[in-house]
Formats: sequence, C-alpha cells, structure tokens
Amino acid sequence: MIGLLRPLVAAEWRKVTTTKMLWVLTVVAVLYSCLQVVTLVILAGGGLFEGLANAPIEESMLLDPDYIGAILGQVGTAATFVLLLGIIAMTGEFRHMTITSTFLASPRRSRVLLAKMLLYGALGAMIAVVAMAFVLVAASVALVPFEHAPITMGAIVPVLVGAVIGMVLYAILGVSIGSLITNQVAAIVSALVWVLLFEALVGLAFPGVARWLPGGALNSAMDVALRADATGGMTQAETLPAWAGIAVLLVYAGVFAAIASRTTLRRDVT
Amino acid sequence: MTAPGPTLQVEALTKVFRRRVTAVRNLSFTVEPGRVTGFLGPNGSGKTTTLRCLLGLVRPTSGRVLIDGRTYADLPAPVHAVGAALEASGFHPGRTARNHLRVVATAAGLPTTRADDVLEAVGLADAGRRRVVEYSLGMRQRLALATALLGDPGALILDEPANGLDPEGIAWLRTFLRQRAADGGTVLVSSHVLSEVQQTVDDVVIINHGELIHTGPLGGLAKPGTARVVLRSPDADRLRPLLEERPDVTVTLRGDGALVVDGLTSAEAGHVAFVGGCELHELSGEADALERVFLDLTGGAS
Repeated sequence: MIGLLRPLVAAEWRKVTTTKMLWVLTVVAVLYSCLQVVTLVILAGGGLFEGLANAPIEESMLLDPDYIGAILGQVGTAATFVLLLGIIAMTGEFRHMTITSTFLASPRRSRVLLAKMLLYGALGAMIAVVAMAFVLVAASVALVPFEHAPITMGAIVPVLVGAVIGMVLYAILGVSIGSLITNQVAAIVSALVWVLLFEALVGLAFPGVARWLPGGALNSAMDVALRADATGGMTQAETLPAWAGIAVLLVYAGVFAAIASRTTLRRDVT
Repeated sequence: MTAPGPTLQVEALTKVFRRRVTAVRNLSFTVEPGRVTGFLGPNGSGKTTTLRCLLGLVRPTSGRVLIDGRTYADLPAPVHAVGAALEASGFHPGRTARNHLRVVATAAGLPTTRADDVLEAVGLADAGRRRVVEYSLGMRQRLALATALLGDPGALILDEPANGLDPEGIAWLRTFLRQRAADGGTVLVSSHVLSEVQQTVDDVVIINHGELIHTGPLGGLAKPGTARVVLRSPDADRLRPLLEERPDVTVTLRGDGALVVDGLTSAEAGHVAFVGGCELHELSGEADALERVFLDLTGGAS
C-alpha cells in the first residue's frame, strides 16, 4: 500500500511547494502564536492579572515555572492554521478543478485521500517545530525586561512533543474535513465556527462533553505534560489522558475520511 | 507510443444527473485506433458527460464505457493508455505550467523531465515557467493538451480543443492529431462546430440531446443528394421545370426571387441552364454543405 502511495505523496509535496499557501499559513501561524506568547508575558510581567484580581502583588507570575510552561504552550494556537491547511489541501483541488487531473492520474480516489493525510500529517509536524522555535525566541526576548523563572528543557520538551502530536493530528483531521465538505468556503467556515464558537459553548455548558470533541481532544493530546489548563482553559479533570486524546482525534479523522470515501469522493467530477 | 492505440467503446451509456436530468441516453459507438474521430453535437448535447464517463470521472447510470475492454479505473497504467484534455481550466492559477505538469507526472509515476518534453511538443517551452494566471485561453488549451500527452498515451481524448486557439494554433493542432492517428493512435476530439474539425477527422459520431444521430466515416455525411446551389435567372419560370426534371432534385423559390436547388452541384445546375438556353445572373454553391447537413441532423437552424 505504501509503495502505491509513494508517487501520490511525492505529488502532494510538489503541489504544496509550488503554490504560496503553505508558506502563507506557516508565517501566519508563527506570527499568531508568537503574538499570544508576547501578550501573556507582558500581561503577567506588567502585573495586569494581579491588578485584575484586585489582590496585592506579592510575586510576579513569571517566577512560576508552570506559568513559563503555559506561555510556551501558546505554540498550540498554531494548530487552527494547520487545520485550515489540511482543509485547503483537499478543497483547493475542487476549487481550482485540479481534482480532474488528480483523479485521472489516480483513478483510485481513496489513495489520493490517504496520500494527502500522510503528507499533511508530516507538514503539521514541520509547522509545529518551526512555530516552537519562533515561540522560544519570542518568549526569550519578551522575558528580557522581567524577572522570570528560567526556560528549561524540562518545560520545552513536553510542549514540543505535544505540539507535534497535536498538529500532525489536526492536519490529518483537516484533510478529512475537506474531503467531507468539498466546498472550500463552507469547509473553512464550518471548521472555524466549530472550533472557535461551538466547542467553546459546549465547554461552558457541558465541560464533560467538550473533551470528546475535536478541539477538546486536541487539548488532551497536546497535554503531554498535563498543561492543558494553561493551553485550553481546562482543568486536568476535564481532559482525557494524552493517548486517549490522540485516539479520539484519529477516530474523528478516520470516520470523516471513511464517510468521504463513500460519499463526496465518489461523486461525479463535472 | 509504441503499440496501436486502444479501442474506445461506449455501450448503451445512459447518464441521469440528480435523478432528473438525462444528459446521455442509450448511447453506443466505437472509436477505432489509427483514425481521428470527431465527436460532434451542439452545446449541451452530452459530449462532455460522455467523455467524462469514459475517463471514470462520471459514473454511468447504466451501460458501459470501456478502453480496450476495461474501465478507466481498471487500466494498469491509465495515463499511458489514455491522455485527456477536458477543459482549459483545471490548473491552479498560482502554479507555473511546468510545475503543474511536474505535479501530474509525479502522481502518475512518470519522470518529471516529461514536463519539459510535452511543453516543447505543444510550443510552450518558453512560457513554461510563467504562472497559469498569466496564460491566455489558447495557451491554457495547449497546456491542457500537454497534460494529456504526459504519459505518451495510445489514445487522446480532447474536449473542444480548438476553443480559444488562433488559426495558426488550429492548423498546428490539425497536423498534430493527423500525425498521431497516422502513427496508430486513437484520437477522439469533440466539437460543436463541424467545420472546425471537418479537415481533421476520418469518422464522426454525432449526438443531440444525449442520443446518437449518426456515426460513420465523414464521407458518408455528404451524400450526393446533399449538395445545394443557389441561382438567379431572369428566366426562372422556364428554368425551374428543367431543373426539376433531373432525378432527386427539389427546387424552391426563395423570397428574394432566387432558386434554391437541392441535389445538384453548381456545375450540374450551370449545365442545365446552358442546355436550356437560360440566362444566369448568379450561380453559387453553398459554401458549407457539410455544415448544413450537420445542422439539419442536430436540428439547428440552417
């Protein structure tokens, strides 16, 4: 199977490196997560949280190693853009009608879907590593004016592992969503409304349910070092174990891909 | 291309879209290698649907479409068997033509150097590194053809390939397709204008409203009785019965006083007038008798 997929994975790599979308989304993802980092540093360092809490300031939050970990955890905000990248991987083919030559070269349509999931999973990992590198630089620079706990390898490694796992899964999920909803605008709007709005509301109303949804599962999957409370606003009790979060996301992607293979991807290409 | 091209078979093909719109109805025809076959019909007559069925892009409601006895998806190496140019779209606007071809070549397991070969073959070698968004319609047609040629296929399936081509491009395409057929390849080329492919094709398949109207060699279309001549004479009253004496000839008087003669060539009609001693002011053969036959067959206005 892998042998059959190799030319298709290579073709996907060629597709994604011959347009600007990957670079644009990577830059935006990196800038967005760095902005989150700098904002958190300044809010904490400037004592704003304490001011809001209306409590006397005894010690800067930046001296708390857990808070430093939470700042690094902002790399996870790049995942939304990785999701978009996965969605566009499939919907872009329908939008520009390149799906015709794609399916002529590979009439077995499910293989195209599998090849995209493989390649975009790898791209998700790549973006996670790049974003992590820039987040470290941004955090180091932003922390300079303040007294703070050190950025240790013990803080970096779990966040990086979590980010890589999470973004691999979110890229694959994005490809499966794009296969299910082949209209690009509809797919992007649905995914953003789901992640940014619907899941947030479910999280407020039924905290026990939210962890079983893709966004909640992502937080669980990235929560290798039990820092979900920092990245997702969830307490430990509300997240799944990391392995379960990974499994839940894979099940979502697998179910979406299986449904798409039997419905949308079987449709007439006219 | 080494062996003769495959035979394309459409057998009792019916395609109904959304359970209501019947695009193709019980259509059967065969396309032989070594010949250029014109697939003709007005816009919306089901040509594109039929071609997309052949390529496995559209699923037939009933009937079969086979390439040397197999469906497209069952071909061991589809891009070697069939190359298709379905429309002058299907390119990412931000990607260069060369990269588009390299993407398709990679997916098909072909060496990426094929991209440069086919760019050269269609005369786009100098424009290959430009993004498709900068391409004219004619250049996109050439790029679509280049994509079809990547696997050096035995059969070429081209949907309205002359759209947007300049006269020079059309002449070039004609030579190219003739050569392809002469080398043993199968060539199926659709058009909604017969005159566009008249000089290119050996066989025609004519459809209208998704149904077969006529199939066979192009020569069979222009039967002797299909010639039409327009003539003008001050002796029209005397000339008309002389013309009508000839077998299988019908004469009608047009509103402007001209006689329209069906069934004679201009030479034959001129001879009748000369023998009968009738003065002629105008004698003209209809420029495009074949096109008129085509329009008659497909119910268009003549």
